[in-house]
Amino acid sequence: MATIDADNRREIARLPSRPISLEDRYDPPANFLEIEVLNPETHGFGNKRYTDYEIRMRTNLPVFRLKECSVRRRYSDFEWLRKELERDSKIVVPSLPSKAWQRQVPAFLRRDDGIFEDEFIEERRKGLEQFINKVAGHPLAQNERSLHVFLQDTTIDHDKYVPGKVRNS
Amino acid sequence: MSMQKAVDNNRSSNAGLSMDNQEKLLADALQNVRQHAFAMKRVLDQQSVMEGLKHAANMLGELRTSLLSPKNYYELHVVVVEELHHLELYLTDEFEHGRGSHDLYEVVQYAGNIVPRLYLLITIGHVYIRANELPRREVLRDLVEMCRGVQHPLRGLFLRNYLLQCVKSLLPDTEEENQEASKTGTILDSLDFILLNFSEMNKLWVRMQYQGHTRDLQRREQERRELRILVGTNLVRLSELECVNVERYKTIVLPKIMEQVVSCRDSIAQEYLMECIIQVFPDEYHLNTLNEFLKACRELSASVNIRNILISLIDRLTAYSTRDGSQQNIPENIQLFDIFSEQIAEVVKSRINMPPEDIVALQSALLNLSLKCYRDQFEYGNKVLENTRKIFDNIALDTQVQTGTPAAKELVKMLKIPIDCYDILDVLKLNHYKLVLQLLSYRERHTVCMYIINSILDKETIIPTAEQVTQLFELLLTLIIDQTDSALETSRQTITNEDFVEEQNLVARLYNNFQAPNDPDQQYHIIKICQDTFKNGGLERMRFTYPPIIMQAYALTFRYKNIREQDEKWEKKCQKLFQLCNQLINTLTKLETNDLPLRLYLQGALAASEIGSENAETIAYEFFSQAYTLYEEQAGDTRAQSASLTLLIGTLEKVTCFAEENHSTLRQSLTQAATRLVKRPDQVRTLLLCTHLFWSAQRLNESTQKSEQVHDNEKVLACLKKATKLTTQIMDQSVQVQLYNELLNTYIYFFNQNLPDIDITLLNSLIEKLQNEMSKISSNENDEFIRNQIQKTFDYLRQQSQLEKFQGLQINN
Repeated sequence: MATIDADNRREIARLPSRPISLEDRYDPPANFLEIEVLNPETHGFGNKRYTDYEIRMRTNLPVFRLKECSVRRRYSDFEWLRKELERDSKIVVPSLPSKAWQRQVPAFLRRDDGIFEDEFIEERRKGLEQFINKVAGHPLAQNERSLHVFLQDTTIDHDKYVPGKVRNS
Repeated sequence: MSMQKAVDNNRSSNAGLSMDNQEKLLADALQNVRQHAFAMKRVLDQQSVMEGLKHAANMLGELRTSLLSPKNYYELHVVVVEELHHLELYLTDEFEHGRGSHDLYEVVQYAGNIVPRLYLLITIGHVYIRANELPRREVLRDLVEMCRGVQHPLRGLFLRNYLLQCVKSLLPDTEEENQEASKTGTILDSLDFILLNFSEMNKLWVRMQYQGHTRDLQRREQERRELRILVGTNLVRLSELECVNVERYKTIVLPKIMEQVVSCRDSIAQEYLMECIIQVFPDEYHLNTLNEFLKACRELSASVNIRNILISLIDRLTAYSTRDGSQQNIPENIQLFDIFSEQIAEVVKSRINMPPEDIVALQSALLNLSLKCYRDQFEYGNKVLENTRKIFDNIALDTQVQTGTPAAKELVKMLKIPIDCYDILDVLKLNHYKLVLQLLSYRERHTVCMYIINSILDKETIIPTAEQVTQLFELLLTLIIDQTDSALETSRQTITNEDFVEEQNLVARLYNNFQAPNDPDQQYHIIKICQDTFKNGGLERMRFTYPPIIMQAYALTFRYKNIREQDEKWEKKCQKLFQLCNQLINTLTKLETNDLPLRLYLQGALAASEIGSENAETIAYEFFSQAYTLYEEQAGDTRAQSASLTLLIGTLEKVTCFAEENHSTLRQSLTQAATRLVKRPDQVRTLLLCTHLFWSAQRLNESTQKSEQVHDNEKVLACLKKATKLTTQIMDQSVQVQLYNELLNTYIYFFNQNLPDIDITLLNSLIEKLQNEMSKISSNENDEFIRNQIQKTFDYLRQQSQLEKFQGLQINN
């Protein structure tokens, strides 16, 4: 019988295990990471308009300095992040939602509002949310300073920024 | 790794969530299950165990899904377990016939995926233990540990639940090992098994809340609540083991459970599990572990609703102690009241944000405990009431609790408890009761007071002393006098407001319960107290509250008369009572209805007459003339006047204490009043009544001090003649005929009384007149009544015509 022979057959004997502590039993899991892309807002007038989104993040991963933060980013910031990660990290970075060149044709040639159409903005928002969640969850991306700057600095200061790695704090 | 799990969570929760999607997934899964089950049964019929196991494993594969909601997973689980039962039966059957395979326990462990593997292992283990193929203790230990392999909360919970159900009858429940078979295990092994299963299930259950996006937290919490019975079943199973005694419960079971409950710091789990413990284990266990349990309560997380847990426990122990009607179930060394009182204070101290209504609810439960378990020791109940008042004084001194708030509601509930438990005489012994009552605003005080009165009336409690009446009125002050905080209510206190009428009627009814059975002086005392209290209530209230006092006072005079042998002061006391009534009725005359005071005066006159005390005549005359004055004030209202006059005449006919002088004055006045009534028919009818004043009414003969009937023939005849004359002047034919009939009846009466001058001839002439007049009335329905009346008179006469007295009566059809 399998149960009794365990004493004689060490290769199928049960491994000794330490009982898990009460904290480990009931604490919330240490892999919590939620990023939402919300509240698109279009700023400026006429030709000088642009849309940005709120990036709200909650986490308990130790590698992130802030456990909760909220910043505003625009599409070009996402492009910058993607470029940095592609160059510096070893991961295959997922693609962004499309640049939508068609929609950027001058206003008088289009029947609608181009890239400021509500439907389009919503599509883009969903795509950006998918993108950032995939990226931020990857351990190798979590080591890149660009990701931390993108998620947790109020503004991305391109003058001061120096690429680099982040270790566990 | 962590990325994948986090992403999977999001994906799975988004994909499977919509209702239609869930329905389809479940339907598909169920169909697959049935197909595999069918195949399994078919090959088992052909005795292929291995094939059967393979199909079973496929079927169990459906339980690997992450896409179903807990409710739907449960439905799937139920069906799968049902089908698995066939496998179990088949294998058991094989073993019973000596055909069982001996290596299945090892074979099923080769199943590729862990969920089917473990379900099969549990099933086989169950069969093998029953068939004595494998030692029980080893297998049970093995199974409960191997289930650790499934860490997914939903799947793990259902798997361990299946384990628990399967081993239900297999758990060893003996002190020592069975000598015949080896390694069967003892109660201690069972405890280990269940406690381990419980702690693992609790862990998984708590972990459920982290599975998915924070925005879905509410839904997950609801789903967790739906699954709580899975965890609770472990506790139920523990309670079913017979070898668990108070000692083991205290040293092994409760501490282990508490360890998990306290350290999980999850309010859903804590609330449920604490309640579960209270409900599932017997009361003796709770009695012996009170301190441990209550200490654990203090350590629960701050958002747990501790009020319900404590109240549940207190109520349960209260019920236990008063079961079988005795209070002896609690051993002497356990001072329930002190323990709970102390612990509640600790809990309240440690939770600074506890809302006042929760604190009151706790005090209510404690009050319930003290009243039921320590019935005759009022100091416990008093203490609770005092503490409650102190709590509110600490929040805001001398401020009322706002009406309609939960705190006010709880206070009302609390105040009802002593009323239900005790009768009012014992409640009055709780002298801090009124302290708590004063905390409430008008509407709640009103509710409590009504409740108190209703309770007294329902229980028919008699309140025998003036002191107790005073104490009771202190409590009921809200209903008796205008309250400073009832501005809105005061404007509605008129007889047109039904609620007000109902309320005051109840207060008035309370009167009947104030009885000092053997002590008339005490009763007098009570009456005085009532008067002193009610006179502050305002005229509208007096309308209701004074009449009972007055009637009781009259009744008391009769009591005094009955004991006149023992009490030489009885006449003076009666005098005082009548004076009191005079005063009270006088106050009532300020109300708009004259009917009530008039009747009360007449009742007083009658009472005085019956008593026959030394001042009876003066008193009766005074009352009578007051009544007459009230009658005169009714000048505008013909119908009221006529009714009042009738009352006056009727009363005078019964009053026997007037001497001739007073009596004749009254006779004259009333007769004249009769002729002064406005409407002729009223005049006639009332005059006919007056005839009795001159005949059967009694007056006091001064020389003999006895009452005798007036028997004034002349005056009687005069009245009759006058009445006849007035009748002839009536224009309405039907009314006239009716009155002729009434006249005839009166004449017949006096004929029977042998009044001189009324003889047969007179009767005959009247009969003839009536018969002539009868033809004048119409034959329609309205006059049907009159015709019937007349017919009745004639029938009577016909009957009487046989008698000698009625010789010569001429009556024909």
